[in-house]
Amino acid sequence: MRQSQSQIQGVVGPLFEAYEALPSTYDELFEAGAPRPPFTRVVELLDALGKDQLARAQAIAENALLQQGVTFSVYGDSRGVEKIFPFCLLPRLIAAADWAPLERGLQQRLRALGLFLDDIYGDQRILAAGIVPAEMVLGAQSYRPMLRGIKPPGGVRIHIAGVDLIRDTAGTWRVLEDNLRTPSGVSYVVENRLMSKRMFPRAFDAARVQRVDHYPTRLAETLRSVSPAADTNAVVLTPGPYNSAYFEHSFLARTMGLELVQAPDLFVERDCVFCKTTRGPKRVDVIYRRTDEAFLDPEVFRADSVLGVPGLMRAYAAGNVALANAPGNGVADDKAVYPFVHDMIKFYLDEEPILEQVPTYVCLRDADRAYVLEHLGELVVKAVDEAGGYGMLMGPQSTQAQRDEFRARIIAEPRRYIAQHRVELSSCPTWIGESGSVEPRRVDLRPYILTSRNGPWVLPGGLTRVALVKGSYVVNSSQGGGSKDTWVMRP
Amino acid sequence: MIARVADMCFWFGRYVERAESTARMLASTASMALDAELPAEQVWRPVIVVSGEEAAFREHHNDAAWGDGELVQRFMVWDASNGASLVSSIEGARWNARSIREVLSLEAWEAINELHLWLPAAQGQYRDHREGFYQQVRRTTQLALGLLRSTMLHDEPLDFIWLGVLLERVSQTARMLDVHHHAFGAFAGNELLENGLWLTLLRGLSGSEAYVKKSAGRIGPEGVARFLIAETAFPRSIAYCVHSAYERLCHIRPPEAHSLPGGMSLERLSVLDRWIAERQNHERVHELLTHVVDEIHAICALLGQELFGGL
Repeated sequence: MRQSQSQIQGVVGPLFEAYEALPSTYDELFEAGAPRPPFTRVVELLDALGKDQLARAQAIAENALLQQGVTFSVYGDSRGVEKIFPFCLLPRLIAAADWAPLERGLQQRLRALGLFLDDIYGDQRILAAGIVPAEMVLGAQSYRPMLRGIKPPGGVRIHIAGVDLIRDTAGTWRVLEDNLRTPSGVSYVVENRLMSKRMFPRAFDAARVQRVDHYPTRLAETLRSVSPAADTNAVVLTPGPYNSAYFEHSFLARTMGLELVQAPDLFVERDCVFCKTTRGPKRVDVIYRRTDEAFLDPEVFRADSVLGVPGLMRAYAAGNVALANAPGNGVADDKAVYPFVHDMIKFYLDEEPILEQVPTYVCLRDADRAYVLEHLGELVVKAVDEAGGYGMLMGPQSTQAQRDEFRARIIAEPRRYIAQHRVELSSCPTWIGESGSVEPRRVDLRPYILTSRNGPWVLPGGLTRVALVKGSYVVNSSQGGGSKDTWVMRP
Repeated sequence: MIARVADMCFWFGRYVERAESTARMLASTASMALDAELPAEQVWRPVIVVSGEEAAFREHHNDAAWGDGELVQRFMVWDASNGASLVSSIEGARWNARSIREVLSLEAWEAINELHLWLPAAQGQYRDHREGFYQQVRRTTQLALGLLRSTMLHDEPLDFIWLGVLLERVSQTARMLDVHHHAFGAFAGNELLENGLWLTLLRGLSGSEAYVKKSAGRIGPEGVARFLIAETAFPRSIAYCVHSAYERLCHIRPPEAHSLPGGMSLERLSVLDRWIAERQNHERVHELLTHVVDEIHAICALLGQELFGGL
């Protein structure tokens, strides 16, 4: 820290001096060289801080996060090395008029996705109606046939969702991915907020920002609302301190006032879940589980799991414990099912979809497949069952041999492939320590949606993830991504 | 509370206390080494013996090493393979704290986390300003112990942390007194030297001023032993720590709550408490201290079985 302070000496001038937005990209704060109208005053106040102030604030904030242990564990390091999640103090602002449709769109989307899951693990009407091809759903690895017919306590399956959105060149929000299993990152939303309030009190005040610190209270209410018992004992289940998101598990337990348990703390007897306490066994009614479902119960899923609780799924099926999120949700955020979410909204809600998504070609459809095979050089082709960069063809950067290989694979197994045009991400002014200046960097947005018995609620804010590497589109923290506080302005 | 969390609270308390007492013992021994006019081995060997790591030390070093103060200190501060070293204790405290972060107060957690972040960067301070280095460890651990009491709910988690602190403290006091009582016997008659040694021991237990107040300045083996074993007003005496530990355990598991687990631990601690309180004669110090250390060991094992889920 001492070193970074000496480095920044000599960094002077207004903050946004010489800031240049990227060509043909939507910039979150600037338009044609000037702040966007709703943000004028806030940008002026930030600008007046100057580069030296910002560099100092950034160093203080990073040090404070380290001291407080707001860190993630680096996998593959047996000594348990922890790092702070890189972040940029400069906030991303969202005007009230932009937020309102986004909020409504997310609620609509979550209602439809919840109904889809109920249907898929129930009567499967949408498959019978031919709206979604049955083989896309029933053939997906994330579909769990053994869960069919099980009704979750409280009727909720997607208690916590994190939906990844981008903004295209016109500034239109588009859903990139629905995360309906165990979405993470919300603790950084709350922690980043504490930091930006501390560092920019005047700008924060001027922006009239909606608060985010009541998230844990809302989450606790959500969990209680689905409890099968009157006097609820809810717990947070973590794989343990070696997990990269352990800070968040601990944070959520602490801010909700719940016990943080690991699998060996729990056991199942007569289809009820208990935890081992210093006063003997204690009944558990709701589990906010941050363990992947494949590891939840070795009796049902992976038999080699040491992170699991034998018999947990029996207790769940008997209605004696609520699991948040419900197991089996993966089938609704599967790449193969994503292209059909607009159809779901129309089918279940009889409404027009509010939120756009990225146009996607489904290779199972003849017309789509013909187009994809014609335009392999322009498209991004993704295998639906494989995560990350595996099984992916980046058309514009591909070789003829790679395209030929994918052509053969698509023809052989069309169900497994979808294709999209490369998406442009919007940019946001970001503090770059090495150059001592503010530069545009690509961002996305992950808002969090809680669904209780009473329906979905959207946290007014979210995790803005930023690709800190120049020219990069990759916002993942494992590959040079960081985060920003997201200021949603009050109407 | 969750049995595993109780276990980690208990060990968190033990590690913090152990780090504090190791730093204190090293600082007072280093100070004594300057003017004790004793063979260096008799100054430094007890440090290793008290820590219970004699065998580990002997594995890596020859006999001459017992008198090498720098070597002994390096072993007791930086050697991660030594379970009683400062790095091991601080990492143990911090690991447990991180695992039970949700039950600690932010202030107490930050104190321990700062110590963990500070330690690897403190090599220079260790080299150039040894006394200040030990002082920093002691201040931060004492700060953490104080913050636990002033910022946490006074309920089960704090009871388990404090139970760990107190039982660790009993063992430390008993072992230090035992080792020194044995070693100092050789100097009976040399009043000046003997006085210096007893004062060092008392300083190592933060008890020199308290002792002088209680004994009107008379320093001798019987007086010091009685003080460290039986003085109920001294917070590091065996009688004080055992009795306080008993009270803590009564909060956790009330004597009348026969249906709750923990009955055997409570009974055994209660017996030890009475046994110490009834001792009139502190002459057979070694036998007495051996009994205390063995009992504490057995009580910790019982706590593990009854309250910590047999982990």
